Amino acid sequence: MEKIDDKYDFSLYEYHNLLHQNILVSYKGPIDERIMTVIGDNIEIVTNDGNDKARSKIFKIFMELAQNVWLYSAESCTTSSGRRLGMGTLVIGEFGDSYTFVTGNVVRNSDIEPVIEKCEIINSLDRESLREYRREQRRLAKDGHNKNSGNIGLIQVALTAESPLDIELTPVSDEESFFSIAVKIKKSAAK
Amino acid sequence: MELEDIVIEGSHKNFFTPSVNFNAKTGICELSGESFLEDTQEFYKPLIDWLDEYTSKIKKPIAFIIKLTYFNTSTSRCILDLLNVLKDYEDDGGDVTVNWHYDENDSDMEEDIEDYMIDTGLNINIIPF
Repeated sequence: MEKIDDKYDFSLYEYHNLLHQNILVSYKGPIDERIMTVIGDNIEIVTNDGNDKARSKIFKIFMELAQNVWLYSAESCTTSSGRRLGMGTLVIGEFGDSYTFVTGNVVRNSDIEPVIEKCEIINSLDRESLREYRREQRRLAKDGHNKNSGNIGLIQVALTAESPLDIELTPVSDEESFFSIAVKIKKSAAK
Repeated sequence: MELEDIVIEGSHKNFFTPSVNFNAKTGICELSGESFLEDTQEFYKPLIDWLDEYTSKIKKPIAFIIKLTYFNTSTSRCILDLLNVLKDYEDDGGDVTVNWHYDENDSDMEEDIEDYMIDTGLNINIIPF
């Protein structure tokens, strides 16, 4: 059997091994409701070390963060019916007594400043203040516009995870950066 | 013209559509299941309009029952809109009962319901299942 001549410099085996260590689910590509439903349902299956609360928390966090990638990623593709789908990477890992969920996508440098500020505010607040902040943002979210729902989403994620939003911004060009958000969920979630 | 009931069967397929059962005769309105929709506003607008109509024309007691196990944040704004209509009705002298059922393991949901009470000023019966 002939081998592929122009095989790029990529070993699937190495890629598999890299992921095999601690990663339960990983996806890179366009995100839409079908991907979200399939992965969302699979989370139940792969996180069976965690208690029911932990599983339900990861599911909720996944739904918010995956939605943000879908709507706000600067990298996108368009379906044959003309829908714009944001592209990004979703990873659910398992490290000792907790799960880590990470999403990442390309962002325009000019757009990302407010998001980072928002994350910093969220990380500086205790639970009571976060709840108050969510109530305020929910009141402000205007009918017919989902502009603010991304903001509420991040507050919701921090409240659900009961841990800070671990954000990272890596410049990829003058205009764009790769932005990732990681959150940790304890397997024995008490809340 | 009579106010027609709203009956929507929920589904968990691609998007998640909640089940809706708004009954104009009994005043019992139920919203249950999961809510993650393609166009959240488009789905909830008729429900808000229905409540507006019921509370301004029919003016009978209303029992609003929520049994959502999951809703995303854009839904959370629409829930606030629904509850605000009920609060206005109550302030006008309407008879309003809100029963919100939640999974007893889901204390995040319990907190969220408490926050809706603070936000709307409505008394919500928080019922674990």
